[in-house]
Amino acid sequence: MHHAHIDKFAYQDSPIHRLDSRVKFIVLVVFTALVISLPRTSLSILVCYAVGPFTILVLGKIPLRFAFKQILLVSPFVLVLALSCPLYDKTPVTVAFGPLVWQSSLGWMRCFAIIGKFIITMLALIALVSTTRFNNLLTGLQRLGLPKVLIIQLGFLYRYIFVLIDRAHHILRARAGRKLRNLGLRVELKTVASMLGSLFIRSIDTAERINIAMQGRGFDGNWRCLSKLQIRRYDFFFVLIAALFMLGLHLFVRPILQ
Amino acid sequence: MPKAIEIDSFSYKYPDGTIALSKITLNIEHNQKVALLGPNGAGKSTLLLAMAGFVKGTGKVLIDGLEINRKNLKKIRTCIGCCLENPDDQLFMPTLFDDVAFGPLNMGLSAEQVKKRVANALETVGLSEMADKAPNHLSAGQKRAAAIATILSMKPKIITLDEPDGNLDPRNRNNLISLLKNLPQTLIIATCNMNFAAALAERAVLLDKGRIVADGDVKKIMSDSELMTEHGLEVPSKIRE
Repeated sequence: MHHAHIDKFAYQDSPIHRLDSRVKFIVLVVFTALVISLPRTSLSILVCYAVGPFTILVLGKIPLRFAFKQILLVSPFVLVLALSCPLYDKTPVTVAFGPLVWQSSLGWMRCFAIIGKFIITMLALIALVSTTRFNNLLTGLQRLGLPKVLIIQLGFLYRYIFVLIDRAHHILRARAGRKLRNLGLRVELKTVASMLGSLFIRSIDTAERINIAMQGRGFDGNWRCLSKLQIRRYDFFFVLIAALFMLGLHLFVRPILQ
Repeated sequence: MPKAIEIDSFSYKYPDGTIALSKITLNIEHNQKVALLGPNGAGKSTLLLAMAGFVKGTGKVLIDGLEINRKNLKKIRTCIGCCLENPDDQLFMPTLFDDVAFGPLNMGLSAEQVKKRVANALETVGLSEMADKAPNHLSAGQKRAAAIATILSMKPKIITLDEPDGNLDPRNRNNLISLLKNLPQTLIIATCNMNFAAALAERAVLLDKGRIVADGDVKKIMSDSELMTEHGLEVPSKIRE
């Protein structure tokens, strides 16, 4: 079965793809921190910040449609949080956008700020994941000092999540093939519990076999891999541009628009 | 010179008390290609796991003259490579290159040596172009070949393969047969596919209910239709003709 992998565009070639994963990750973290730290009423500044991830996506040849599809997938959780803001904060505020001036509430401002920040930080995250091969990202994170156990877990999660999804599909298909009438909530819940149990047991079996495969190839608890990462002058140039962009927004644009 | 595998009166019970292997005595010479035949649940996979020290029972198991114990385990696992039934269990790294490099890196080889071994192993199985691919992007036949490459990169003297022809179409099965035929290592292949075994092995060991019921020339054993039927197997079409 074929799945839409989160890094399906990471195997392309572009100036952004060629950057070191550590550099991209550090820039992402700083950028995300800056976006999150913006005051909830600074909606116009948010638009300026969005230029960063959009540029990366365009330079990295990542279709914007793909990026927004990914955002839509995870948006329900944030939308619930954002849309609840106007309900409890009705403090009136005057909003001006060029010659347009209208009355709104602080709750709505918060709502748009949450949605805006979510979209921009998600775009930045998608830009990172779509232009970096997952194994390079893991190696980069390991080199940056993230715990080995976490790196191994992430690697296994990425490798086996699709195997698990396939298994779940097979179980669901087997159930659909034999479910000829509505059995009622109680029986349905019992069936779902059995299906989850079966999936869990099969996952444990798989884990045991992977452990055998690892031990058979000399694994002794230490994760070794050939790191292919190298920071070049090109990466420093990217950091310089990113730093100038973020500093410019933080020191000059922010005070003007606030 | 020590034998590749010497098993003396090896028995193993599952934790629930079911007998998986009973008093197995088996000697395999170096460079032999041996088919482990038997119906489902005969104990073939368990015997392969016992050869690599993954199941501990009673009796003796010697690999290339080394008895399986905690002290020798690391040496033994560089000597015997296990290819599991499902290649998805064998290919656990993010890319094929990393997967094939996993064993040599754990052997403590230098980066240059590892790269050389990976390149050689991938070339042997015909996957040189796929080094940067994620294992989940490979076809079933490619996954099987990749799983074998992960073992070949460690240059073991003995390779065990558990149902290597499972889920393969005839073309991929034939490719696998020619790949395995050309390997110089001792091969022990557990399979229920009699045609596959007949095409590869020179010796057959027939297992049923955890016991060895026949051991000898593959064609001789496979042409004994009474023996084969009694143990839930069939005479392969190639031999029947």
